[in-house]
Amino acid sequence: MQIEIQLTNAPVAEPLPPSAVTCVGAWVEFRGVVRGEENGQPIAALEYEAYSPMAEREMRRIIEEIIRRQPCLFVRVIHRIGVIPVGEAAIYVGVAGKHRAEAFALLVQFMDRLKQDVPIWKRRALTGQELEELKVP
Amino acid sequence: MRILFFAHLKDITRCAEMNLACGEVDADGLWRKLVAAHPGLERFRGSVRLAKNSEYVGPDARFSDTDEVALIPPVSGG
Repeated sequence: MQIEIQLTNAPVAEPLPPSAVTCVGAWVEFRGVVRGEENGQPIAALEYEAYSPMAEREMRRIIEEIIRRQPCLFVRVIHRIGVIPVGEAAIYVGVAGKHRAEAFALLVQFMDRLKQDVPIWKRRALTGQELEELKVP
Repeated sequence: MRILFFAHLKDITRCAEMNLACGEVDADGLWRKLVAAHPGLERFRGSVRLAKNSEYVGPDARFSDTDEVALIPPVSGG
């Protein structure tokens, strides 16, 4: 079982499935994307902050706990922090398993636990003007 | 003891971290010190979890001056 966890300020690229794991029969991916509204108001971006050392540790702990019940082969989590424009991924999760059932189950259970326990916060919503102002050098 | 604040708690305290000399304290004692330093924290006590050295701890935890303690308000990642 292999777990990769990354917190990054950079946009989430197109991660490749794990090539080294030959007995994979299912590769399930999820991207949580920033919506264009927050509390009914249109927004242009969300700013995330994290308690990074604990967030990484907590994500790994949660995955290790779930994987005992849902035996998967590989999990990759990339959570973006900082300012994330609408339409871009705030989180990417990729799960490889022998079969789809445990891969789907791990993904769902992980996302539920992330939203309860992992110290990452939506700090503020930005309007289009606020987002543009950040781009001005 | 190094204390870390996140999310809206940073707005309350107007800082991301502070040093607090407590000696050995339990969670109640720590909260008394925190509220004495930043009275605005009191109303968030019911919703904030404490983490010691990057791990959540329960109400029976004890803290010393070498610990890093984070106040964790409800999270909203993903």
